[in-house]
Amino acid sequence: MSELDRGRPAPQVPTGSEPARGIPPVAISETSTRVNKTGSWKYIRPRYQDGVAPCNARCPVGIDIEGYMNLLREGRAWEAEDLLIRENPMPAITGRVCDRPCEEACNRAGLDGSVAIHAVERVLGDDILERSLPDRFEHWRSERMAVVGSGPAGLGCAYHLNRMGYHVTVFEAEPEAGGMLRVGIPEYRLPREILDRQIAWFVSQGIDIRCDQRLGEDLDWADLAEFDAVFLSTGAHKSRPSGMRGESGAGVRPGLEFLHEVNDGHLPILGRHVAVIGGGNTAMDCARTARRLGSEVTVVYRRTRAEMPAIAEEIEEAEREGVAFLFQAAPEEAVRTKGVLTALVCRRMEMGPPDESGRRRPVPVEDGEFRLEVSSVLTAIGERSDLTYLPSTIDVEWGTIPTGELGAVRGAGEGTGPEGAGISETGPTMVFAGGDVADQPRTVAHALGAGKRAALGIDRAVHVTRGLDVKDWDPEGYRFGPDGNVSITRWRGDDPVQRENPVNDVVPGDALNLNHFAPAPRQEDHHLPAREALTDFREANQGLSWDEARAEANRCFNCGVCNGCELCMIFCPDFAITRRADGRFSVDMDYCKGCGICAEECPRGAITMTREGL
Amino acid sequence: MSQTMIGPIIPEQQLLDSGHLACPGCAAPLAMEMVLKGLGKDTIVVLPACCWSIVAGPWPQSSLRVPLYHTAFETGAAVASGIRAALDQKGDTETHVLAWAGDGGTFDIGLQALSGAAERNENILYVCYDNEAYMNTGIQRSSATPWGAWTTTTPTDHPENHPKKDIMAILAAHRIPYAATASVAYPVDLLEKIERAKNTQGMRFLHILSPCPPGWKTGSEQTIELGRQAVQTKVFPLMEVEDGTRWRFTVDHPGDPVEPYIRAQGRFRHLTEEQIGAIQGEVDAKWEVLEKRVRHGT
Amino acid sequence: MKKVMIGNHAVSWGVSLSRAQVISAYPITPQTQIVEELSEMCADGRLDARFIKVESEHSAMAACIGAAATGVRTFTATSSQGLALMHEVLHWAAGSRLPIVMADINRAMAPGWNIWTDQNDTLSQRDTGWIQLYCETNQEVLDTTIQAFKLAETVNLPVMIILDAFFLSHTSEPVDIPDPEVVDAFLPPRVPAFQLDPDDPHAFGALVRPDAYMEMRWLQHEAMDQARTVMAEVTAEWAEATGRDWPAVESYRTEGADLVLVTSGTITSTARHVIDLRRDAGEKIGLVKVKMFRPFPSAALKSALKGIPRVAVLDRNISPGHGGIFAEEIRASLFDVPMDDRPMLFGYVLGLGGRDVTPTVIEEIIDQTRQAERVEREDLWVGVQP
Repeated sequence: MSELDRGRPAPQVPTGSEPARGIPPVAISETSTRVNKTGSWKYIRPRYQDGVAPCNARCPVGIDIEGYMNLLREGRAWEAEDLLIRENPMPAITGRVCDRPCEEACNRAGLDGSVAIHAVERVLGDDILERSLPDRFEHWRSERMAVVGSGPAGLGCAYHLNRMGYHVTVFEAEPEAGGMLRVGIPEYRLPREILDRQIAWFVSQGIDIRCDQRLGEDLDWADLAEFDAVFLSTGAHKSRPSGMRGESGAGVRPGLEFLHEVNDGHLPILGRHVAVIGGGNTAMDCARTARRLGSEVTVVYRRTRAEMPAIAEEIEEAEREGVAFLFQAAPEEAVRTKGVLTALVCRRMEMGPPDESGRRRPVPVEDGEFRLEVSSVLTAIGERSDLTYLPSTIDVEWGTIPTGELGAVRGAGEGTGPEGAGISETGPTMVFAGGDVADQPRTVAHALGAGKRAALGIDRAVHVTRGLDVKDWDPEGYRFGPDGNVSITRWRGDDPVQRENPVNDVVPGDALNLNHFAPAPRQEDHHLPAREALTDFREANQGLSWDEARAEANRCFNCGVCNGCELCMIFCPDFAITRRADGRFSVDMDYCKGCGICAEECPRGAITMTREGL
Repeated sequence: MSQTMIGPIIPEQQLLDSGHLACPGCAAPLAMEMVLKGLGKDTIVVLPACCWSIVAGPWPQSSLRVPLYHTAFETGAAVASGIRAALDQKGDTETHVLAWAGDGGTFDIGLQALSGAAERNENILYVCYDNEAYMNTGIQRSSATPWGAWTTTTPTDHPENHPKKDIMAILAAHRIPYAATASVAYPVDLLEKIERAKNTQGMRFLHILSPCPPGWKTGSEQTIELGRQAVQTKVFPLMEVEDGTRWRFTVDHPGDPVEPYIRAQGRFRHLTEEQIGAIQGEVDAKWEVLEKRVRHGT
Repeated sequence: MKKVMIGNHAVSWGVSLSRAQVISAYPITPQTQIVEELSEMCADGRLDARFIKVESEHSAMAACIGAAATGVRTFTATSSQGLALMHEVLHWAAGSRLPIVMADINRAMAPGWNIWTDQNDTLSQRDTGWIQLYCETNQEVLDTTIQAFKLAETVNLPVMIILDAFFLSHTSEPVDIPDPEVVDAFLPPRVPAFQLDPDDPHAFGALVRPDAYMEMRWLQHEAMDQARTVMAEVTAEWAEATGRDWPAVESYRTEGADLVLVTSGTITSTARHVIDLRRDAGEKIGLVKVKMFRPFPSAALKSALKGIPRVAVLDRNISPGHGGIFAEEIRASLFDVPMDDRPMLFGYVLGLGGRDVTPTVIEEIIDQTRQAERVEREDLWVGVQP
């Protein structure tokens, strides 16, 4: 090059401007295009913005399902388990018995089946219980809390309070802890071994569980006065009557009572043909239990199959196990011959016009009467609570205890302190309630969710009592989505999952780019063959293997949350996106032209385009 | 697997710099970066006149981190042949020679030189990034412009009335060792083809569809989606052909209807239902021909 | 070693001795024998070069551009229509400052088809930035081919060696072939000033804006200026090694001449014969041979022609609408010679499309030039009946 530069200088003809210097003889590049800050072209810019997956938003417990799925996908199972039990203390149990609204909400449902969240949760939950028991939590707070009832609501509340550092004492009326999990759910759905391990896991963490302590009998309301707060989670253990003629008499009994008896180890005789009245999970439990006792079973339900509130898989299992269904039929009379139940008179029903709730109510069909030969009838049309232990100062509405969102009960004297305080002069300072005893859907998940909220409510009340600032307790700040349950992790602010510009919007299916997902059929639970399952009460649903659970975690879309898939980086035509050391991405705004490909192609809707200058 | 994590498959080495002068959402820089990722830094790029002449940056800049030779419109394959010969003479058989031309430089003005290089079986990789018109000069039709498309020389009253030239068949007829189509929407497929091209001696040809937001009248964010739809509708099938005879499809083509793909592009806005039906017919007929090639060879 | 060979083979031998590494060419009459011979040389191993048999002259030059940009010594040959087809890439080669050497056999442009000689093909490429060297004999052709590489690689400009169709290309003459050691010493392997190199990646030929384009053209022009000096050095060095001197401008028996012919190409040899006859008969007459047309040897021509009363320029070419191209350029060069020293310049257009320029024709031109009272017109067509 240098020899080319020699020679005479350019003739100094006046040009009006200084001649350029140092120009090479040919157009040979000397710099990168990085000198062009082409980012100035854009009028919109991408923003990584982690939203909320619909499963998380719909989970009554308030679990970061998407979060633990992602950790499991990355092979970080222990961290997945840790994230899970921050919110849900009993995944081995919910993984078996939850009615899985998360799977209904799953954005994958419409493609090739929702992610089998319950099964993954179960695998993780079992793994937690198989490991050595956890250490005691240090009870560094002076306050002592009482929990009445050791079902999922009670244990859930106790668990969170314990982790917050409070002394917690759980009073259980039955000889063994577990509440409805123990007395209501049959063993083939929830093996006692799992439940026992779960209880032991709670005890190991320092929760004091005292059995045979029925409030109102073994324990007085006034005895609770020594506690700073009480959480009432006594459940709903009384069956509602069906209202048919001849209900009280030989051969007809509440399903719950029957299940309780079986769960206590008895084998009641039902006779050859059993009718189960109802369409919920209790009805399915009754039907399948009756099958295991050797009876032919017919489920009688007023509406159609589509309206059955039971978990779909439970219905399918019942069918597989030979349970017959009689839809759009209502029992009218239990017929006895010589004091022995022989038949059930039923009436055909049809769907009437929608009522004020929009739900169509079944109405009887004229001349639709028919008989069913039966030896036993089990009623399972709902449960109610026994609230006779409550002091009169506490409000009761429709057989349940109304509460605030964080579980504070309402009643006379309320308003003199924090929520839940001042209601009962004779009992504990502050009263909270949740689970089936409160006005909420009666599922294990809702019970666990209520227990968690109440733990937060109690903690808040303690802080109010101490005159401390409680603005951080506003549930709006730490919900999953605008309507979801609260997250303890978010409330504590120690989320191990790093969030990029988190927003609390639920990510709808149309925000995803499904092109980046290959079809991958849902892994279905392994069920024992019906013939084998019916021989005894061993667990009928064997769940999934670890590998299958990981495959399910791989199926998770991670809706709304960047999982580092790099497609944004791969498809950025301006190479403006780089991966940070923490695994997330940065956009170099000097070069991003705002084309929007990253946001369009993000498989999970974790990038949004925002206007420049706003 | 549900979402294949392709990140680890994509080579990390970046050979194309930011600050290049492609329009927002242009597929051409992506195509270049993916091809260069596959070839590696020991590559010399020959660049006949095309959009990339601008994308590469004005003197004294270069957006590429590999040597680049700008050259006249019709000379891509010939200049590449000369570079290859010179490298061989210098004993350098490792460095790849990449001719990088647009559809005009390939289908039209550069076809003669391309045919010459193909016939001589020059040991080069020729990539045509095809945005289906002369975009750099302001959207004039080329022989790669699809039937029915508007361009500034095929106004909506008289849109393009010739089918797109079958460049793959032309190249296959030269019996070159390897020819393939590729799409930026399918980076793994594209990289696999580069890998095959790298491991093949002689003339290799890669035809990459390169959606062009200003020329196709589409949103800049639609580029990848359109690339994907072009494949899924069989408008631009992904395939490869060895020795001009052994044809193979390299991805699944679900055969989605062409209408949404056509309707998504402003350049087709004037088309009637019937005309779109005709395009569908043409795509179906072409697919049949391709299937025959795959089954029986040519 | 002396060998009888045609002009085309003299080019081939020159290229071979110069150890060109990449050759790319397309056949065209009357050039074909150059590349035929070179293909054989490549095939039988006499020459270690890659021969790219391209599909057109345009690609031939493009391939040479690619190869030259990669740092090797390159050669091509063409003629007439082929050269015209190359036009675009001739600019590219020169603008890229690539030392490509090309032989062009001067052949008339069609239509009508004509394969015989005239200079319009090369002169049409006057402004592409190529050095142009017109040869007279096969020995000069061989020697100039070797010199051309040295010249090209010194100033980083492409060089065209130009031979008359048939009169040189297909005419056999004894040629002294220099020893390879002599050529190797004269012309060492090419050391490129810049090249395509993955270990030092640069882009070449990108968009250049008005703020720098003109400077690059200035530097190209500057290199042409240097080429005049370098040409003198190169020919002197060659003369020292071989005893043969082929200057850019040669004055032949011009001492005290009152009339000088200016020629290029093979007409020069015919003119030498006539000059010899007339000088021997006592006439004060001489000859100036113009070998280098680009860069134009203005100074050398000025000093060769200054003070000579009458100058006849013989142009085997025509710029339609103006005249003979050598004459035009010489006329322009002499314009700043003071009036007293400025010759009367007669521009003769002759020999187009291979029409024979015999000694008789030249004699008539000499006589006509002596007898003319003034220059009637800038273009004096020889032998054309209106």
